[in-house]
Amino acid sequence: MKRTLTMLFWFGVMFAHFVGIMALAYALGGLVEGVLPGGSRLTNLAILMVAVVMGIASLLTVAERKWSSLMQNRIGPNRARINLPILKDSALVGIPHFLADGMKMLFKEDFLPATANKLLYNLGPMLAFAPVFALYAVVPSGPTVQVFGHTVDMVVATPDFGLLYVFAIASLAVYGTSLAGWSSNNKFALLGGVRAASQMISYEVALGLSLVGLMMAFSTVQLPAFVGNVTNELGLGNAATGQARYLWEGKIGGFDIGLPAWGFLLQPLGFFLFFAAAFAETKRAPFDTPEGESEIIGYFVEYSGMKFGLFMISEFVEIVVLSGLIVVLFFGGYHLPFGGEWLSNLALMREHGWLYGTILGTVFWAKVMFFVWLQLAIRWTFPRFRYDQIQSLGWKILLPIGLFNVFATGALVLWDPSLRALAVFGLLQIGLLIALTTSSALKSEEGHGGHGHGHDAHGHDAHGHGLPAHGHAAHADTHSGAHSGAAAASH
Amino acid sequence: MNIELVLFGAFALLTLLSAGLVIFAKSAISSAMSLVATFFFLAGIYVLLWAHTVAVLQVLVYAGAIMVLFLFVIMLLNLGEETSAGPRLTLSRILGGAAAAGLLVVLVMVIWRIPAPTTTFTGAQAVASGFGTLPAIGQVIYTQWLLPFEAVSLLLLVAMVGAVVVAKSRI
Repeated sequence: MKRTLTMLFWFGVMFAHFVGIMALAYALGGLVEGVLPGGSRLTNLAILMVAVVMGIASLLTVAERKWSSLMQNRIGPNRARINLPILKDSALVGIPHFLADGMKMLFKEDFLPATANKLLYNLGPMLAFAPVFALYAVVPSGPTVQVFGHTVDMVVATPDFGLLYVFAIASLAVYGTSLAGWSSNNKFALLGGVRAASQMISYEVALGLSLVGLMMAFSTVQLPAFVGNVTNELGLGNAATGQARYLWEGKIGGFDIGLPAWGFLLQPLGFFLFFAAAFAETKRAPFDTPEGESEIIGYFVEYSGMKFGLFMISEFVEIVVLSGLIVVLFFGGYHLPFGGEWLSNLALMREHGWLYGTILGTVFWAKVMFFVWLQLAIRWTFPRFRYDQIQSLGWKILLPIGLFNVFATGALVLWDPSLRALAVFGLLQIGLLIALTTSSALKSEEGHGGHGHGHDAHGHDAHGHGLPAHGHAAHADTHSGAHSGAAAASH
Repeated sequence: MNIELVLFGAFALLTLLSAGLVIFAKSAISSAMSLVATFFFLAGIYVLLWAHTVAVLQVLVYAGAIMVLFLFVIMLLNLGEETSAGPRLTLSRILGGAAAAGLLVVLVMVIWRIPAPTTTFTGAQAVASGFGTLPAIGQVIYTQWLLPFEAVSLLLLVAMVGAVVVAKSRI
């Protein structure tokens, strides 16, 4: 109970921050637009990319340690404290650790190996960080609204080649890692760099193919066009477009409800391909052979201090950017699944555009946080793939499925331009995936003799909670003495 | 002196500089990285020519894919610094030099003969006709230039199959 309340409290803190930041972003954008037309792009750059994306990425360094400790039956970081009287020396669920880590890295010796190529060695971390950070520029994080009589949109850049920018910039990220590996003049680092390069080259192909179907379905490559707008948004009278459109819709009073044309419904295969390929590009477990702490340490083995920190933070930035892209491309961007038309036509929303923007912006960040959580959960659930498994997954599984997806999508879009046939096909795919997953889960359950799983979950709860005695009591109540032997073994 | 001219000068100078580095750099990795920089500055010149789609494709294909493969091969072979005793004159080098000089002469003559008042595709005119945008390029590729486009993709397919055959003696 206490744990649930704590979680709810911190969720509330997070959402309060998102609401505040988005309101600030819209207000600032409106003010700057009055002084300098087009200047809201600069405030978006400062707020969305520098403040929000970097803020989430640096907090994720703590979140990863904390969540992994919850999953592994540990308490996790809670020693760094800020000694202020109002805080009563509380651990603040470990959040001050990111400040402590940052300070440590800044003050560490900047070590340069004697035989390293100095220029490329220094260039490596920058080339690893800059592309993933620049990727976020095209991700729209909120609707276009009128603030103080000026049009403000919540995106840094809207090039007409949209997704090509994403592919072009994402493909540059490999230089940082491979140069770091080569220029350190260390055999382990070189191995890591070569592994990173080959892995990223292989998965770029699947990454590009996975989105072709989506581009055909929405016949665009621009990210704001993928998100689209709801019917008669803010009383502007335009028809619904992109993922805000309903495939089948109904109305309950003034409240609109239906099945939105989200990319995930139209392209479930495309989503899983994109997610897997992009996950491989982030080089995190289960795709972490370039690092492989237990075998080669990785391409950054010779780096210390903030240069190593740049490699680490670029991984976390990549998590946030990837979540943003997934939300924009497959999960409706900043739109609600239903009720969007009703919300945008409330008198309050029409009068105060910034309020509409703030609400939908918060929706966007909530979706992003879900995918951030999902990625961290995957990272701490799966063991590392073997190197040849990574290559055969990329070339022999993802690539043929991607090709099939392109042709199937093309045929269905041609047959039924309203995309309903594509949605039915997508729903069938989702159903098939669920059936396959449950059947294989049942099979493995038979193999393991089901009891252990349930027990383990309870053990984790108890320890993550920090109240082992209480956890044990609860555990003893729900499961009778049959498992006590296993309990003793696992503790 | 407008900003376009200043930017062109900067990009042109940097392109020449990094292209020179490709040839004169001692280690193979430095050469490859200079070539990547050359591609970027060339992309800048493409943007100035209102061909921003070509610019992003330049970065995507050359800098992001082809040069990454080059770098990968150089790293895999772990090529050190060149230790040759200096340039030697061989027949192929003399012929290559002569061909390069001939190409230079032809290019200079072609540029010399361009009439002064050419039709312009930049500025407001380009915006109005959607010049250089992705839809405009797609329209032209899939209608007017469909046959050359398909021929080039066939060529790439042949090259790909050929590479597989050469690399793998037994399939």
